[in-house]
Amino acid sequence: MTDVKTYLREWAMPHVLCPGCAHGIVLRSFLNAVDQLQIDQDKLAMVAGIGCSSRLVGYVDFCTLHGTHGRAPAFATGLKLARPDLKVVVVTGDGDALAIGGNHLIHAARRNIDITVLLLNNSIYGMTGGQAAPTTPEGALASTTPAGNTEPNFDACKLLMGAGASFVARVLAANPMDMTKVMADGLDHPGFSFIEVISDCPEYFGRYNKVGGGAEMLTWMSVRDEGVAGPLAEKRFVNHIPIESVPSGMETGVLQREIRPVYAGVRKVEDHES
Amino acid sequence: MSEGSQGLLLAGVGGQGVILASMIVADALMRAGHDVKQSEVHGMAQRGGSVFSHIRWGERVDSPLVPLGSAEVLAAFEWAEAVRWVEYVRDGGAVVADVRTIVPPGACNDHRSWLRRYPGIDGELFDSRHLKTRLIDATATAEELGNVRAANSVILGTVAAFIDIDNKHWEAAIAHLVPKGTEEINLAAFRIGRDVAEARVPQTAPDPEGFSGPHQIEINHVWCKGCDICSRVCPEYCLAVDVDGKLTIIDAEACTGCKLCEALCPDFAIEISAPREPAVVGNQAAADGSTL
Repeated sequence: MTDVKTYLREWAMPHVLCPGCAHGIVLRSFLNAVDQLQIDQDKLAMVAGIGCSSRLVGYVDFCTLHGTHGRAPAFATGLKLARPDLKVVVVTGDGDALAIGGNHLIHAARRNIDITVLLLNNSIYGMTGGQAAPTTPEGALASTTPAGNTEPNFDACKLLMGAGASFVARVLAANPMDMTKVMADGLDHPGFSFIEVISDCPEYFGRYNKVGGGAEMLTWMSVRDEGVAGPLAEKRFVNHIPIESVPSGMETGVLQREIRPVYAGVRKVEDHES
Repeated sequence: MSEGSQGLLLAGVGGQGVILASMIVADALMRAGHDVKQSEVHGMAQRGGSVFSHIRWGERVDSPLVPLGSAEVLAAFEWAEAVRWVEYVRDGGAVVADVRTIVPPGACNDHRSWLRRYPGIDGELFDSRHLKTRLIDATATAEELGNVRAANSVILGTVAAFIDIDNKHWEAAIAHLVPKGTEEINLAAFRIGRDVAEARVPQTAPDPEGFSGPHQIEINHVWCKGCDICSRVCPEYCLAVDVDGKLTIIDAEACTGCKLCEALCPDFAIEISAPREPAVVGNQAAADGSTL
């Protein structure tokens, strides 16, 4: 295995993200997945919009494109059509992809463009000061919802399944090994692959909601996942987190995987199957 | 002990086919006209725990349990199990043991004293009691035959040399009980086991897989933001963030190289690498091929 640092622009490090922010864990897992698939650094393009998660493209040594807010899937669509030989990956946040750029995301999914979208969901607008996002859970505190969020939140995976994405998965930043595996599957999938990563924002979400810092946030997201809640609760570093205070369970893993014709025939289905 | 009965003990760890082997022995003995009683314990077997089975046979057997120091033969499918059960063998009895070691996770975890915990191979243990000892690498033999799961048949082949029943009963029992489609390979393994010579054995327990000393922890303090994730996920308590928010290594010797900190560091600030020099484990003799 190559050192993941060969995929980093080391001169740009350390990155701008807050202490304990799980976006960095997600980036490392993604680089591990790229390393696993042995993708040429010059043949991989990372496209981002605006937001904390979108800042990640500044630190990776691939072809990178930093576009406008919410329009990363649109940029990526154009890039993929012009340069079908590139592997195109969109890194986006929950506000970027589901609020500002919601339309671009669902139509890229509907067309089954051969790109991979990583949605780093931290349940809040982190970069702009902790405002409530479409993914903020009901009842959660944010700078714009001091008495608790009254709106229901998006389930991004269900939305994308409804829009026709041919690969939909959800992973937790707290499970980096699983994350790498699912990302490798998604990168390898012919057609539109969507991976929602439950990331975190200890600085705003953790602070406002009294969850705690990075370690506690990782635990918190784990106890939201039904499969790992029980075992994790017994671990030392999660002792003080009351289980009943966390939201209901989320389904994780690959939720949908189908092979259907790819937009503009960039990569033929038969090729993949043979 | 019931009049004129003899005892056999089979011991191994989960997944080695101890129970199947014990059924084959019982079946073969019954085919030879003996009264047979068999009993087995496989509590934590699925987690690599100990599995053992008592068998007694003779004209009439009342209880399946073999009393301490009275077994005719001990068939051990793993080295530590041979050491654990050897007391059950009568003086002058026989021990058939696979020299392969399967180090349980618990012993691996205790990385600073595993050498003391996992038993080394001690010839005197057997010699002093005039035991007829057959140490074989059944696992390697079965691998050569093309299916590592036939290792239990190799052991049975060697065990058969110490039990006075006709060979046809053994082969009939094996053909009857092993999974369909594996009869040929198991019979071949049995025949090799029957003819096997004593194998060369390592002088001490080998290095447990995946651990060869403390790993090297490297911290990039320029990139580290002191978020405290690594120190709180480390199962071995190797790291701590001091009052100034600086990450420090508090127990470098304890690192087992699980890399949880590395995978969960958001800032790419920790790197775990394999030990610089392989730890000295004293199994050089094994590499030289020396025997007991």
